[in-house]
Formats: sequence, C-alpha cells, structure tokens
Amino acid sequence: MRNISEIIDGKRKIVKKPELLAPAGNLEKLKTAIMYGADAVFVGGKEFSLRSQASNFTIDDIKEAVEFANQYGAHIHVTCNIILHQDNLEGIEEYLKKLDEIGVSAIIVADPYIMKIAKDLKLRLEVHVSTQLSTLNLKAIQFYADMGMDRVVLGRETTYEDLKVIMKNTPIDIEYFIHGAMCIHYSGRCMLSNYLSRRDANRGGCSQSCRWYYDLYNQGQLVNQEGDMPFSMSSKDMSLVDHIGELIELGVDSFKIEGRMKSLHYIATVVSTYRKLIDCYCEDPDLFQHSSFYRQELNKAANRALCHGFFYEHPTKDEQLFNLRDEHPTQEFIIRVLDYDKEKKLAKIEQRNYFKIGDKVEIFSPHHENVVMDICKIYNENMELVEVANHPMEILYIEIDYPVQMNDMGRKV
Amino acid sequence: MKLVLSLNKKEYLYDYVSMGIEIFVLGGKYSLHSPYTFSLDEISEIIEKYPQCLFYVTMNALYDQHELKEIEDYIQSLNDIHVKGIIFQDFGILQIVKENDYNFDMMYSPETLNTNACTLNTLKDYGITSAFVSKVIPLEEQLFIQKEVQIPLMIQAHGVEYIAATKRELLSNYQEASQLSFDISKKENLIIQAHQSSYQFHIYEDRRGTHIFSHTRLYTLDLLNQLCDFDYWYIETLMMKDEEAIEIASLYSDALKSYKNGSYNKDIKEYMHLLYCLNTPLDRGFLFDQTVYKLEDMRKMDNEKHK
Repeated sequence: MRNISEIIDGKRKIVKKPELLAPAGNLEKLKTAIMYGADAVFVGGKEFSLRSQASNFTIDDIKEAVEFANQYGAHIHVTCNIILHQDNLEGIEEYLKKLDEIGVSAIIVADPYIMKIAKDLKLRLEVHVSTQLSTLNLKAIQFYADMGMDRVVLGRETTYEDLKVIMKNTPIDIEYFIHGAMCIHYSGRCMLSNYLSRRDANRGGCSQSCRWYYDLYNQGQLVNQEGDMPFSMSSKDMSLVDHIGELIELGVDSFKIEGRMKSLHYIATVVSTYRKLIDCYCEDPDLFQHSSFYRQELNKAANRALCHGFFYEHPTKDEQLFNLRDEHPTQEFIIRVLDYDKEKKLAKIEQRNYFKIGDKVEIFSPHHENVVMDICKIYNENMELVEVANHPMEILYIEIDYPVQMNDMGRKV
Repeated sequence: MKLVLSLNKKEYLYDYVSMGIEIFVLGGKYSLHSPYTFSLDEISEIIEKYPQCLFYVTMNALYDQHELKEIEDYIQSLNDIHVKGIIFQDFGILQIVKENDYNFDMMYSPETLNTNACTLNTLKDYGITSAFVSKVIPLEEQLFIQKEVQIPLMIQAHGVEYIAATKRELLSNYQEASQLSFDISKKENLIIQAHQSSYQFHIYEDRRGTHIFSHTRLYTLDLLNQLCDFDYWYIETLMMKDEEAIEIASLYSDALKSYKNGSYNKDIKEYMHLLYCLNTPLDRGFLFDQTVYKLEDMRKMDNEKHK
C-alpha cells in the first residue's frame, strides 16, 4: 500500500508528491521548464523518437540538459518511442549506452525490442513504457513489469475509476497525462497519416490528418454540403487542472504534460501553473481550496478549448472540435527578463514579439505572483528611448517598479 | 501456406470448407471489429460441427481495467470449448493466458506494430506463438521479416485494411453537433473522404467506438510466388457482401491449389480476370510503397509534391 500522506505537526501533508514531467523541444524550453518547476523533462533525440518535426536533441544537447537538470535535482527522460522498421534497427545499442553514460534518468519506449535491449545491457536508466502502447489495464501492466519495465505511461483513455483500481494494485510506477493534446484514436494504432500523407505516425511523422476536414457520404450521397459543419476527428485538449488533488491522493507517480512542439510561453505557463497547484495542495490537502486562477492561467497559453478527456465520463460531442475556428490564439508572449536593476528599476529584457509604449503586460514567474503593468518607457541598448519593440530577440530595457527576476516572462494583456 | 478467412456467416461455413479452407477467424463478444459477432454457444456449435477445422477468436481490442473480470471468464470459456487460438493486441490478454497456463495459439495482431523481425522474436520469448505482420510496410520488408522470424506468420491476402479505431462515438457526436441526417446503423453505409485527397475510408460505429477501414480492398492474388513462405494467408471479409466473400474465398482457394499443383503461373491470368469482374475497388496498400521517417525525407517529399 502506498503511503500518500502523513500527519505532521497535527496536520495532514502529502508525502508522496507526484513528479511533474514536462515536455521540451529544445534546450531553451527545457531549461525554462525546469526553472518554472518541472521535476523532470522529456525530450526526443535525433534518432528513435516520435515528433520528428520537433527540433530534437543531439547527444551533446542531452548531455547539457542532464548537467543543467542536475543543478536543480531534476531528471531527463529521453523518448525512444518509434515503432522500429527493419531499417531503423542499426545503432540502438550504442545510442542507449550513450544515454546511460551521460546520466539520462529514463527512456520512454514503445517497441518491445528496445525494451529488451535496454534490459539486456543492464543500464542504470529506467525504462518506461510509452503511451503509444495504449496500456489501459493491470494485466498489461503486469506483462511489462515481468519484462523488467520500471514504469507505464497509461493510455489517455484510462478513466478515473479504472485508475483508482490500477493505483491500488500496480506493481510498477504509473505515469498519467494531465494536460495537453489528445490523439482522437488509440495512440500508436492510427494509420490515417500513413495513408493520407505517407508520413509514418509511428515513426514521428504524424500529419494530424484526423484534424483535417472530411466529406461524409451516406450510401453514396454527400451528407455535409458546403456551409454545413465540417466532419473532423479532432479532440479538444485535455486538462485535469480541476482534478489534481484526486490524482495526488491516488498516489500517481508522475503527472505528464504533453507538447514537445509547444512554445516557450506555453511550457512556462503550464509548468508553473501545475507546479503551484501541486505544491499548494500537498502542503495542506484538507484545507486546500481550488481557485479559478489555475484554469485562467492555463487558458492564457491554450490555443484549443480544454476538456477532461476520458477522466470522468465518456467523451461526447462537447469534447470534440468540429471547426478549426474553435481554436483561438493564445495571449502573446512579448518579453523575457534577463536582468533587473533594483536601484534604477530597470529590467533588461529580450524581445519575443512586437509591443509598444502604452501596451499592458502581465509579468509571470515561478517566484512571484503575476504583475500587470503598463509599458511606459522602452530603451534600446544605447539607452535611447524607442516607441516600439519590433526586432525579434532585440535586447531592450523597460522601466518596471516591481522587482522582477531573471527568466520572468511577460505576455500582452 | 494455408488460407484463413474471417467468417462472415455461419451458413456459408460449409461452402468455405468445401473450397478447402480449414482455418477460420471468428468475431466474438470482445472483438474490436469483425464481420459478424458469434456468441459462445455459436462458436462451440461450430467447433463441434467442424472438428477438422481450426478456429481462432479475435480478442483484438484494447481493454479497460473494469472489463478484465468478464474477459478472464470469457477466455476460460474459450478454453473450455477448445478454441485453437486467440488473435489479440492487448498484452493483458496474453498475461491472462500465461497466468492460467492455457494452451491457445496466441497470435499477436496489433495492426500497426509488427514491423520488424527483432521485435517479433523478442515477443516470442514473452509468450506470443504466432503473429500477423503489419500491412503498413512494403512487401520487401514483409518478406525479410518472414525469413527472420521464428514463429508462424500471417499476412493479409485480401480485403479492406485497418486504418484507425477510437473509443469515442465520432459519428453520433457529429450527428448531434451538426444536426445532419445520416444512417449509422449499418457498417457499410458511410464513407469519409478528406478534402484534397482521393482516399476514401469506410467508417462505422459500434459499442466499442468508431472504426475506420480502407474503402479499397488490398489484393495479393497474383503475388503468391512471393508470399508462399508465409504460414497464413488471410481473407478479411469485413465490408464484403455475401457473394463477394464467397467469390473471393473461391478465387484465393483455387489460386492456392494451383500453386500447390504447379499450374499457378498459367492460371493466374484467368483468376485475375475473375477478380476484376467482381468490380470492387482494389489496392496494393503499402506493398509497393512506403512511408517516410526522417524529417529530411518529408521535406523532400513535400518539395516534389509542390513542383
């Protein structure tokens, strides 16, 4: 039986805090995820990883990632989750040995052959079963446990009721998705992309053909005429922000955020929101009161509507997107703080998107509450006043009364 | 090589057996998709009536935790009525069979995942006893796998190809959201076609969710010289009308007989003519095609498309 909480100084506290596992498509995002509160980050290598369109990591990048993570006591997981074809087999052993050597904590694997190699090599790193295998029950989990796997990432179809039973009886660690995009079909079992664009979904090439528009024919007659709602197989993104307490109480070992292709702003916002939520709940679970703040924060980074996926009820039409117009732009990420001069009340920043004098900006951070302010003065590197910041990545200075910190970010309100 | 057929109707079993087909795949209560769902009593009756044949039952869904108790009882029943094997994709099914020491042929058929020999040989050590090779890899790779793998292998001979499956009710949800009128009661009624694509797919809904299959039928009737070393040649009768299923079974059965008596190369022209006469949409799937893996390959492919 897992010991989730204990009475400490007369107050119940959560002693088994879940790992917060974040995605990262490059080193900048990885470092941000860790600084904003991720306990672990998963990345893709140049080989054997899905999401081939993400800017995946070289071995040197992964080494740097591990070194950076070590400074924060965080862990790096590397996805090796392609389904191997005959011509992808070469070089796996060397690759896994290298990952182990540089201190990667875990690999996420979908192909049983890679599982076997990792175990045969007696590597120190853990081997986690990818969600690509759509594991939904304890018998399948036992199968992987017997293979020597350390953790299973459950399929997103796992409901709360089933999760309760699984958590009571699982012989190995369980990772559960709490936030991000969802495959509309069973992961790893969808060939739409393969057929429609010749891009292999199980080797990282998914063209998201499920989200395309389709004509629907009933016995040869077109059903959805021009002007009708288009037929599409697109899911709203999942967010379990309202259920984090329940998941913590079950003893789920790792909370996974999806999105290696997502922006820096997205990673920072989502990670920091869940970090604050988890910490707040664990500190005093019995008096914890959920606040609308968390959902509001997530909405600032979400470009699709959010839903609960399969968590409580079977998804209905309300958990699907039938029209791309339902997707909305996120709040614009405009600045990243590089430094702050307390005496001059001047923040050195890096411009990330266009802004100008008079714009309202919300500064957010892993260290302090959000602060909303007006942009009153902008200086260039020569300390000359400028009206607009319109050069990407330009170094600028802005006046801010509030003592911001390095790596705080600002979004347009 | 032996011909295997997914049984679409109990009444035609006699005809199929007369053609020389001895191995059948039966849909049951826990099948993800099948041309017909047979009850345990029907399966038992069939097995008793045709002792010379082998019967496999598909338990090829991915199962939720709350289904497991019933599933364990069901597998026990399959064991009691002497089903030859189970076609599965959820390792939970294999685990149940191993824990109970049942003696089924456990054919691993995850539709999309059996794409290399090393993985199948690895899984042999963990209890699979045969496997269905993925249809999304080229013929050349399938043949390589056949040479390297140490367990019996099945390949699809003919029929619609699996594309995707979901637990969600995509058609009912769309009907409710759009208020459009269409009939979701029959498997064969509905077709979807992506904008700017010529591909059409069957789509249907049942109690396990929504299923998508190719509209075209994969055919390999004329490839027997290359495929002959595989153990099983499978005819998928899903989406076929009764007459089509009978005709196809007869053609493939005759082709196999011709191959065995040495007249295949002479007879195949006539068989192909008969196949074309059925006037069903045919396709080669990925047998002579392939998907791309590397980002550079994708860019190259996109550039060529836009030239």
